[in-house]
Amino acid sequence: MINYYVRLALKSFQRTPALTLVILFSISIGIAVCVVTLTLYHAVSSNPIWWKSARLYVVTMDSWDPKQPYDTTRPSLPPPLLSYRDAKYLLGSTIPERKVAMYRMKGVITGAPRQSIPDAIMTRVTTSDFFSMFDVPFLYGSGWSSEADLSPLPLIVLSRAQNDALFGGINSVGRVIRWNDRDFRIVGVLDRWFPQPKFYDLTSSAFGAPEDAYIPFGWAIALKKYPASTVDCWRMETLKSFEQFLSSDCLWIHMWVELPNIAKRQQMQAFIDSYWDEQHRAGRFPRARNNQLIDVSHWLVDQRVVSDDDRMLVELAFAFLASCIITTAGILLAKFLKSSPISGIRRALGASRLQIFLQHLVEVCLLCICGATFGIALSGLGLWALSLLFRIDPTNVGGYQALIHLDMASIGYAVALAVLTTLAAGIYPAWRICTAPLAVYLKGQ
Amino acid sequence: MNFGIRPILSVLIRSPVGPLLVAIEMAIALAVGVNAAYIVHQRIEKVARPTGIDDANQFVVYSVSFIDGFNYDDSVQEDLAYLRGLPGIVAVSVTNAAPFSQDGNITSVWTKPDHKGPEQYVNYFEMDEHAIQALGTRLLAGRAFHREEILPPVTERNANDFVPEIIITESLAKALFPHRKALGATVYDALNNPVTIVGITHDMIGSAFSRYPGDETFVALAPRMPLLYGFAYLVRTKPGRRDALMRIVEQHLSASNLGRTIRLRSVEFFKNKLYLTDRVMQVFLVAVDVLLFAITSVGIFALSMFNVSSRTRQIGVRRALGARRKDIFLYFMIEIALITSVGVVFGCMLAIELSYWLSAHYGLPRLDLHYLVTGVLALWILGQFAVYAPAREATTVPPSVATRTV
Repeated sequence: MINYYVRLALKSFQRTPALTLVILFSISIGIAVCVVTLTLYHAVSSNPIWWKSARLYVVTMDSWDPKQPYDTTRPSLPPPLLSYRDAKYLLGSTIPERKVAMYRMKGVITGAPRQSIPDAIMTRVTTSDFFSMFDVPFLYGSGWSSEADLSPLPLIVLSRAQNDALFGGINSVGRVIRWNDRDFRIVGVLDRWFPQPKFYDLTSSAFGAPEDAYIPFGWAIALKKYPASTVDCWRMETLKSFEQFLSSDCLWIHMWVELPNIAKRQQMQAFIDSYWDEQHRAGRFPRARNNQLIDVSHWLVDQRVVSDDDRMLVELAFAFLASCIITTAGILLAKFLKSSPISGIRRALGASRLQIFLQHLVEVCLLCICGATFGIALSGLGLWALSLLFRIDPTNVGGYQALIHLDMASIGYAVALAVLTTLAAGIYPAWRICTAPLAVYLKGQ
Repeated sequence: MNFGIRPILSVLIRSPVGPLLVAIEMAIALAVGVNAAYIVHQRIEKVARPTGIDDANQFVVYSVSFIDGFNYDDSVQEDLAYLRGLPGIVAVSVTNAAPFSQDGNITSVWTKPDHKGPEQYVNYFEMDEHAIQALGTRLLAGRAFHREEILPPVTERNANDFVPEIIITESLAKALFPHRKALGATVYDALNNPVTIVGITHDMIGSAFSRYPGDETFVALAPRMPLLYGFAYLVRTKPGRRDALMRIVEQHLSASNLGRTIRLRSVEFFKNKLYLTDRVMQVFLVAVDVLLFAITSVGIFALSMFNVSSRTRQIGVRRALGARRKDIFLYFMIEIALITSVGVVFGCMLAIELSYWLSAHYGLPRLDLHYLVTGVLALWILGQFAVYAPAREATTVPPSVATRTV
């Protein structure tokens, strides 16, 4: 039966080729615009560690100013970072399966064989669990042990791009380079890793590049150098030395824990809360108790990774699609009613109303499939054009522009939209034609 | 001459669905098109607003030292002597952050001591006595810094002592002292040290933090050498010389001191980065508006052509009964005018609803009614143009069609 309907549909297209083209045009650009905005939205709202995101939590405590919240627009949200002393204490807990405390510093690399000038790079100073917690892939070697954090040992892990630039991509594990004029031994080189958004550190830019080098957390004290990442201080204290900075209430440490089940999560919460109680009695933490363990998906929402612009684009795209659907429906209605004599004859020959309805729906479906196919091609073009707009920083590999390409999700959206368009544009005209009093067309004109 | 709206109306009312669909489509096109155009206008305005500095002719040179025992003072003196001696350079100042870089420093000041009175966030730049010329801003009152006032850099984080004098922007002056002259007034830093306002400049956009909306021009210049919070040279060149000078400066400074590494960026780069999403919105929404226009006009054209070809019998009959070509033409023009009117009425309501919704959800300003009026006019004209060719086609139907039985 479907074969027959398809042939009828093709005949119908042949009868009115211009109208068919207009319908195809309308459907394909409606779908294309929606697919472009949906792809963008999907890319910025994706969860790059979805397979374990429910086990990973950011540790936050509200240690801010008693007179005003950290974020006046969302007063119930604690600040995203911890102070050094709080992070140090919480790192001592044995409850989490893994725990990470980290921040960023500027580092200058010298002493590598293929270097002509010193290379200033962003370095992540982190505890050893970072690589296993966030499933960071290694090309050569591995991370360091937890003992290396304590001493700290002069070990360094490089990103793949950095290893390519410094050593031409060879296995550089065991080599020594100078980081900020200190000898560091390379223990690992990461494979390509570019999670977008940069979920593990949204405090700088949500779509920034991962750092080029990683060194053990113990260097925080040993170097006596200030971080290059966000430092938020509310207390009006004069800090005249690095030691005072370390014991102050300035927030600059980002802490994550891995808690495999609810029981562990409750234990961790209790641990943090009892630390808070003890410190509060000693005079710290003037605000109401608000210690939150925030998992990755909630964290992405709280840190507002998806902007209002992204949402607005999707909504306007759907309004545009509605316009296209209505145009299509109007043209289909006119087309079907014009060809009522043919349907009238078919009814006279025994076709039921349902069959007429289905036949016309098949015709609409074919149009929508073709339209969706052209729509995908057009959206590929649209996404490519959009990525050109984003390509203003030639040194910034990846980032927002890497997200903007056609992927399986886009195809999925196109298929779903094709179904939606078929039903929305086709149901009323098909219903009209099958309920029309078609016998009238059998009479001689 | 008989215009006869009644017969046109009765035809439309008898089979209303088709024309109604066209009217609804026009309504959606009006609502979406007008709101999209208004958003584009807002973004264009935002990107075009004056920055207050000479951003087309400026670049920054970031300098990061990495060896122990790096001699800060000698290095800065050497660099500044070189830069200020280059032909084509108007002025150079040190700075802790580049304008528009979304990176930099904020501190709080109060208009009364002991943190009394409202707390005002200030986005400050640590610069030297050449700050005003390097930025390319204008002093409205007061003076620039003197060489002797420039303090040595802060070496411990969050030392919290601010500087004794600052130069602030006009809007910050009004925010701090709405009823009196800000020049010469005193504000207090977090540790109750007094800070005198020695100069007021034209408004300029600072690091563009926007922690709170509307505060991008609350900028202060602090007379202090930068170090801990970032270090760069802000270089202002003569017009057209920027790119060439960037190459020359990069070549020289990367070799002149091997204890540090440098990186150059134009201020325009940061500005483009800042406004990137606005530009994308503009392009996207203009594309949507163009496509809406195309869909609506092609849709009306195709539908009208189709109508004409399926109504040849009626047209023929009317011609046979005495209608002139002009009457047939007018019939179709008036028909589309009626449909457009209905579409416009729905469209205006929809446009205003959409504008309220966008305003409530995204904090956008309400639609400027000029846009709505222009949209309505555009829709009218679009309708008439789209139906012109089909209407002309209709006039070619001969009266003899009425007597045929096929």
